[in-house]
Amino acid sequence: MTKSAGRLKAAIVGCGKIADGHVEEIQKLDNATVAAVCDREMLMAEQLAARYGIAAHYDDFGHMLREIRPDVVHITTPPQSHLALAKQAIEAGCHAYVEKPFTVDLREAKELIAFAESANRKVTVGHSFAYDPISVGMRRLIGKGVLGEPVHVECYLGYNLSGPFGLALLGDPGHWVHQLPGKLFQNNLDHILHKIMEFIPDENPYVHALGFVRRDGRFGDGRDDMPDELRVLIAGRKTTGYATFSSHAMPVRHFMRLYGTKNTLSLDYVARTIALDQAEKYPSAIGRLLPAFASSKEYFREGVRNVFRFARSDFQFFAGMQELFRRFYRSILEDTPPPIPYAEIIRIGAVMDEVISQVEKGGSRT
Amino acid sequence: MKVLVTGSNGFLGRALVGRLLAHGVADIRCLIRQDSYRTRFDPADRQALDFMVGNLLSRDDAKRSIEGVDVICHLAASLKGSPADMFLNTVVASNNLLGAIARCSPVPKTVLVSSMGVYGVADLPAGSLIDENAPVEPHPEKRDVYSHAKWRQEKLFRDFAERHSIPLTVLRPGVIYGPGGSPFSARVGLSLFGLFLYMGGSSELPLTYVENCAEAIALASLSDDATGRTYNVVDDNPPTAKQYFRRYRKEVRAIPYVRIPYAGMVLVSRLVQGYNRRSHGQLPAVFTPYKTRSIWKGFHFTNSELKRMGWRQIVSSEEGLARTLAYLKDNFQGGAH
Repeated sequence: MTKSAGRLKAAIVGCGKIADGHVEEIQKLDNATVAAVCDREMLMAEQLAARYGIAAHYDDFGHMLREIRPDVVHITTPPQSHLALAKQAIEAGCHAYVEKPFTVDLREAKELIAFAESANRKVTVGHSFAYDPISVGMRRLIGKGVLGEPVHVECYLGYNLSGPFGLALLGDPGHWVHQLPGKLFQNNLDHILHKIMEFIPDENPYVHALGFVRRDGRFGDGRDDMPDELRVLIAGRKTTGYATFSSHAMPVRHFMRLYGTKNTLSLDYVARTIALDQAEKYPSAIGRLLPAFASSKEYFREGVRNVFRFARSDFQFFAGMQELFRRFYRSILEDTPPPIPYAEIIRIGAVMDEVISQVEKGGSRT
Repeated sequence: MKVLVTGSNGFLGRALVGRLLAHGVADIRCLIRQDSYRTRFDPADRQALDFMVGNLLSRDDAKRSIEGVDVICHLAASLKGSPADMFLNTVVASNNLLGAIARCSPVPKTVLVSSMGVYGVADLPAGSLIDENAPVEPHPEKRDVYSHAKWRQEKLFRDFAERHSIPLTVLRPGVIYGPGGSPFSARVGLSLFGLFLYMGGSSELPLTYVENCAEAIALASLSDDATGRTYNVVDDNPPTAKQYFRRYRKEVRAIPYVRIPYAGMVLVSRLVQGYNRRSHGQLPAVFTPYKTRSIWKGFHFTNSELKRMGWRQIVSSEEGLARTLAYLKDNFQGGAH
């Protein structure tokens, strides 16, 4: 084991699209190395290893665990296999980073967390946008008191069904996304829910979900039934949240608006900007004239900041993922709690189950 | 004789079906991913074709697709998408097909449509003649994902052919072009931020008009002599990148461009690769010195082996270019190319 030397030996199981991002971000860290990759289809493991210069690749997970003895395993397989693979990794003495969605449902999430705790191993979930520079910046501003108390949070996630991910799942009726209880929503909803639930501390918030199929059927099979538009209202005692997932609205965007008792924050996860919308300081027509200039100033400042970030090579696509890896690895090396509390994983899992259940039962219109 | 065509609804696949019919092959199975794709075929031909909806990522579909087949023309491959998807749809799909072929008795004759991208030409002198004996790429991971996947696909076919005595013919087309195809090969240049970077210069373009390429595949599938052989597929007298680009600007539209000579590309690609490394991949290494040497150094290509098989160009290079440029002009939709 390399852990004792302050350096972690990482391995990846599941060599699909997102595995590229994992390899690239681990390879940027100075306290970890990708020792091996694994996929039940050997050719997929081989191509990932070849493209990133990884020394070993396997098509048998148990074989890899025995030979490589990794400290941490990144599980980037379809969610249906997360529980079994994570338990196998933990049994082999590894910590586990599990891509979102954590598991297929809440029951599995609780089982995995209990299993990790009993084995004294750490586990986390790929809520990488929680550590995106924009989210980190938002928390810094909230810490300074600019927001006041949170009142309401809106999250919007656009999805491009004509992009590489969308084409892959629409092109294959047997794609694993179609086998998930919540289909496309389940594979993407974490990106929204963890942002909203950060501001709704209630144990059992009210959830109301509406999902539907907007596009016309063209396949004549189960793919035509996959809902592609989702609206979710989540209400706690003092804070509410509203989530929109759209596969049709253009351009494809990813943003959040956080309304506070003092001011409002607008976060754009594509353009990487945070803008503060402050209450008018001046009366009458002057008060209506100045906010546009104030907004322009906010976005200009963010644009300049991004240019400097770019110049420092600090404008990476998977910046949030890298930061989450860094914090998770630190928690392993220093034996401190993992970055995402288990209680949060469970709360988000409960809301996810509720959304999926409501969409299945008739919150969905087709 | 029953012929299976994988990738049959693609640009090349539809042309191949046309050429097979022209050669009198009456029993053609077209593997298509969706039932609706059958509408892409000529209505007159549709009745004669045996459409099978399936996906080679399914081993069952792969097995079903070759049942009762005498000849397989394997064209299915991924041209775009994420690297993982390209490998999945090109290499893993091929592996499933080969697994089914290996269990067949008798083993059907198999024609693989590979690519000239499998040649390892980066270290050859400029002006070298690329024939079928040119070295195969020693560093596929340094090339673009498409070439890497095609290299692995061809290796897979050769390994299976040796182990399972599969009668295999490998065709390596250059750039397949024609109405409905891409207007520019990377060998001419790339469009970046609305500006065309024209890098091909006087390099010869290994063009093959889609019907000429389809004719080569049809002949290979019908010829016993082709078994066990490899053929470059390129038309006679192909234009240089400069000739193609000039004609495009004159006959389609005068796109704004910046010309970067080969020496400039070597420098630019060093800078791009250096920046990619220093910035930890903040911008992708679109250009690298290795890719530049492989694509824009300038080589000559030969089709003499193909001619020995009996192939003759059915559409002249001049006619092919004229048809393609006319199509591009008629179908130009602002910014599409």
